[in-house]
Formats: sequence, structure tokens, C-alpha cells
Amino acid sequence: MSLRDPVVSLERLEKTYGASVAVNSLSLDVAQGELLCLLGPSGCGKTTTLRMVAGFVTPTSGRVLIAGQDVTRTPPYKRDTGMVFQNYALFPHMSVADNIAFGLENIGVRRQEQARRVKDMLDLVELPHLAARFPRELSGGQQQRVALARALALNPAVLLLDEPFSNLDAQLRIRLREELRNLIKRIDMTTLFVTHDQEEALMLADRIVVMSNGKVEQIGTPTEVYETPATHFVANFIGWCSTIEGRVDAQGVLRTDSGFAIPVDADAGPATFVIRPEYVKPAAEAGAAGCHHATVRSIGYYGAMCRLRLDVSGQELMMEAHYPYGKGPRAGEDIPIRIDAAGLRRIR
Amino acid sequence: MRVDLIDRLMQASGLCIRFFVYCTLMLPAVIVVAASLTADNTMAFPPAGLSWRWYSAAVDSPQFMGALWASVRLASVATCLSMLLGFCSAFAINRYRFPGRNQFQTLALSPLVVPMVVLGLGLLQFFAWIGLNQSYVGLLIGHTLIMLPYVVRTLGTGLALLDRTLEEAAQNLRARPLTVIRKVTLPLMLPSLISAAVFAFVTSFGNVTLSVFLGMTGTVTLPVQIFTYVESSYDPILAAVSGIVIAVTLLIILAIERLVGVSRIV
Repeated sequence: MSLRDPVVSLERLEKTYGASVAVNSLSLDVAQGELLCLLGPSGCGKTTTLRMVAGFVTPTSGRVLIAGQDVTRTPPYKRDTGMVFQNYALFPHMSVADNIAFGLENIGVRRQEQARRVKDMLDLVELPHLAARFPRELSGGQQQRVALARALALNPAVLLLDEPFSNLDAQLRIRLREELRNLIKRIDMTTLFVTHDQEEALMLADRIVVMSNGKVEQIGTPTEVYETPATHFVANFIGWCSTIEGRVDAQGVLRTDSGFAIPVDADAGPATFVIRPEYVKPAAEAGAAGCHHATVRSIGYYGAMCRLRLDVSGQELMMEAHYPYGKGPRAGEDIPIRIDAAGLRRIR
Repeated sequence: MRVDLIDRLMQASGLCIRFFVYCTLMLPAVIVVAASLTADNTMAFPPAGLSWRWYSAAVDSPQFMGALWASVRLASVATCLSMLLGFCSAFAINRYRFPGRNQFQTLALSPLVVPMVVLGLGLLQFFAWIGLNQSYVGLLIGHTLIMLPYVVRTLGTGLALLDRTLEEAAQNLRARPLTVIRKVTLPLMLPSLISAAVFAFVTSFGNVTLSVFLGMTGTVTLPVQIFTYVESSYDPILAAVSGIVIAVTLLIILAIERLVGVSRIV
């Protein structure tokens, strides 16, 4: 096997429960050292996919390959994966060191070697002082890191993370996220992780697989997925966006039924475009070229910025803007805005 | 202040009921232990005088001590058997969906529903037929049978409450199915296991009906011995034997409390 070969390959993987389809013909390659994220709302099949890689769910059809070997029918305890569970699943009746040594013991590593490996792992996650503690005596963040150390102790071909941050508070989540990415990149570990948090996916992943209803909506780098969403679902699930549905005329102007019009770079015909709120800006003065009149429907304060819901000639648009203290518009007010046409993306 | 009055009335009646319940629960044991300490030749409450003489009589009686050991041995072996069978049954019921699963569960719990006399009579006939009549094996099977519902129920609840992701984590860490049971499932179920074993032991240890039906000439269990003894005489040696049994039971419960904590089991 060369370095270029994928570490994990999913080939038209499918899982049905009776009449309902959990995962629908999913194909995917994960390269060595890649951090790949399965992103989607709950019930989209992302966790089922992860569990099929780990071996806890048997696919209805399709194949799972790990390091070039077909493991579709291989039981979990014979697969080269290391998993961090959503609730961490640390063994409550074992100390931190015993938790980490558990896998090493099962593959028959000698005691001395076990101790050395446990120490290395604890150093890696920077918790060497907690070796003798029991899981219930640890904080959520520490438990997560012990679970990570336990999963990495066997040096698996692929690390599987199931919503690794969902049980932590917001502040800690952001800090641990950066730490986790640095650690995974440092040891060049191939990682597959599942989350419903788009911000987490954008920040952590090398590549994102956006899923909905068991289907892949788009696969791409965080920038690709955010800036050039392929489908309506992706555009709406990742970040905020406004959808403009209309028809492009011969002059290259997109017109909606309500009367909103904006020049676009597209062939004539019916089309749907999306635009992110950061491409809609307040204009300095009304009447300038490319300026639109907008009525503020509602305004939400988010600290660093305000998110406004605007009505522009019957078309709803979202705008993100920063206003000096006390200078923000109120709901019902008319304001001039500019729309950066570079932000308009055509979707399927 | 009508509401106040009703509240107080409820409180007072609650207190009365609690007092009554506790008394009813405690009184038999208290009376027996008190009666056993009598210096007189008849069992009476309150006891006439204080002495240990009936305890030494009980300990010196080969009749009672033999029966006590027979009971302990029988209950221990039957407990081991029923725990083994019960764990396997509970595991199968909890983990697998197989045809006849509900019927199997009902069957495992049925010895609770069938009156003990009927069960004893049926087993007597059955054992006579297959040649296990009046044998130790027959008695053992009977006792194992009446323990099973408690064991299956308790272990089933324990298994249902177990966090399955812990077993998945173990499998993910290369543990084979039997290793998972040995290193993760069983240790985590320790409270359920102990409580099931205690239930099972007590069920066998206190059983009269089944032992009367299946009893053999060689082995007489303690409850049967007490029962037969009462028919002929009524002296305080019975109370002393009961006192010993109560003391042993208390000791076991205290030991478990020290080891794992009763609150985690019951």
C-alpha cells in the first residue's frame, strides 16, 4: 500500500432500517493524515456511518475498507480503529492508567511496555498527573482527553470521534478544539469525526462531508463548502444565508416575482441564488449606483455585530453589520444598502 | 385555618402508619430474639430471666447444626447454579431478539406465579418419573428453579441499566466478546449480581414447602427441621436457632455494606 492510497474507503455504503434509509449509497475516501468531518443535522446518518466504520452497525450493502482491507463483515474488535464516544465511555471501575492500558492488554502487550505507552499517551494529552484518578474524579475536558489517549494508545489506522465536544461548555469547547486539531496534526493521525456543529466542522476539518437524510449533499474543504455551497441545504445549514429565487433575463439581470433585481453572471433562465449576510452592507448614502432601499424587518444583537432581516423590494435578505453604540437602525426603518454581487452563488 | 388542620391530620396519620409498619416488620425478630434469651424452659415473651443456655443448647444440637449446614450448602450451590443460568437467560433476553423471547421471559419468571405447593407436587411427580425422587440433585433443581425469577429479574434490570457504549468501547479496544463480559459487563454489574445472589440465597434458605416435598431422608434443611420440631415440642431452642440465623444474616448484610454499599444494591 502506498501513502497515496486512502486509509478509509467507503464504497456505496448503505444502511436501511426497515423502510427508512439511514445512509444512502455513500462513497468516500479518507487520505492518510486527513481530518475529515461528517456534518449534518441529527438523523442525517452521520453517526450511523461512523458506527459502520467502527463495526457496530452492519451495512445493508456496500463495502468498508480500512488500510486497503475489506472489513465490512469484520467484528469491531478486529478493526484497526480508535473511537472516542460522545459520552467518552471511560470505564468507571478503572483508573485513568488502566483505562488507557485496556486495549494494550487485550492485544497482549507486555506489562513494562504497557506502562511506557500509558505514560507516553498521558504526556501526549498533558495529563500525566492524573494517572491514578478514576473517571468520575475528572472534569469533562479531562475525561475527553483521557478517552482520546485511550483511543490513540493502540495507534489505530483511523481515529473516530463521535461529537467529541457536545458535552462541554462553549468556552472550553473552543479551546479544546484547537488543541485537538494541533495534536492530531502533530501525530499525523487519520481522523473521521462527526458533528452537527457547523462552526466546529469549519474550524477543525480538512474536508467536510455535508449530509442530510442519509445522502451526501457536498464534499469539499471548509472554504469550498462555505463559499460555494452546492445545494440549498448546504447553503442554509452552514452559516446564514438568504435565498433569491427568480429568472435571469437576456441582459443578465436576476429578477424575482416581487420585483427585486440584481445583475448576475449567469445564463438566461430560471435560477436560484444564495448570498451570505456578510456580502450585504449598509450604504453610506442613498441614491448611489448599485444601492438598494431596504426596510428593516427585525434586528438581532450578537455583540460583535448585528444581524438584520431586511425587506428589499419584497425579497428577504440578511445583513451583518456593525453599528457604533446607539446608532443602529430600528425595526421598520428604511435604510440604504449595497449588495456585493461577488457574494451571489448559484445553487442547484 | 382548615388547610392547616388537614395538613396536621395527614401528618399525624402518616406518622401512625409508619410506626405501625415499622413495628410489624421489626416485632417478630425482636420477640424471637428476646424469647431466645430466656432462662426458663418454655418459650415466652417477655422472657423469664436472661441466659445464653438455649444458644449453647442449639450449638450443641447435632440435629439443628446439621440442618443449618445442610441448608447453607444447598442454598450456596443452588445460588451458584441459578446465578449462572439466570445471567445467561437475562443476557439472552436483554441482548437478543429471538422468536419466543417474550414466552421465554414469562417462563423464567413463572415459578413466582405458580403456588409453591403445586410446584412441589409437580416436581415430586416429575422426579419420581425420571428417577430423581428423594435425591439431592432433585432438591437442588427445585431450589434453583424457585430462585430463577428473582435472579433473572434483578440481573435483567441490571443489564438494562448498563451503559452499552462501555461495552462498545471495550470492543473498539480489541476486547473479544467474552473479555468484554469478564472485564466490563460483570464488574459493572457487581451490585446487581450481589443483590441477585442475596435474593436467591434467602429464597432457598427460608423455603419450607418445596423442601418438604422433595426432601430426602439424609438431608433435612433448617426450616424443615424447625417445622418438624415445633410439631412435637415448643422449647426456646427454636428461638435460639432463629437468633443465630438472624445474626448470620445481619453479618452478611453488614459485610456487603462495607464492601459495596447496600444503597447501591437495593
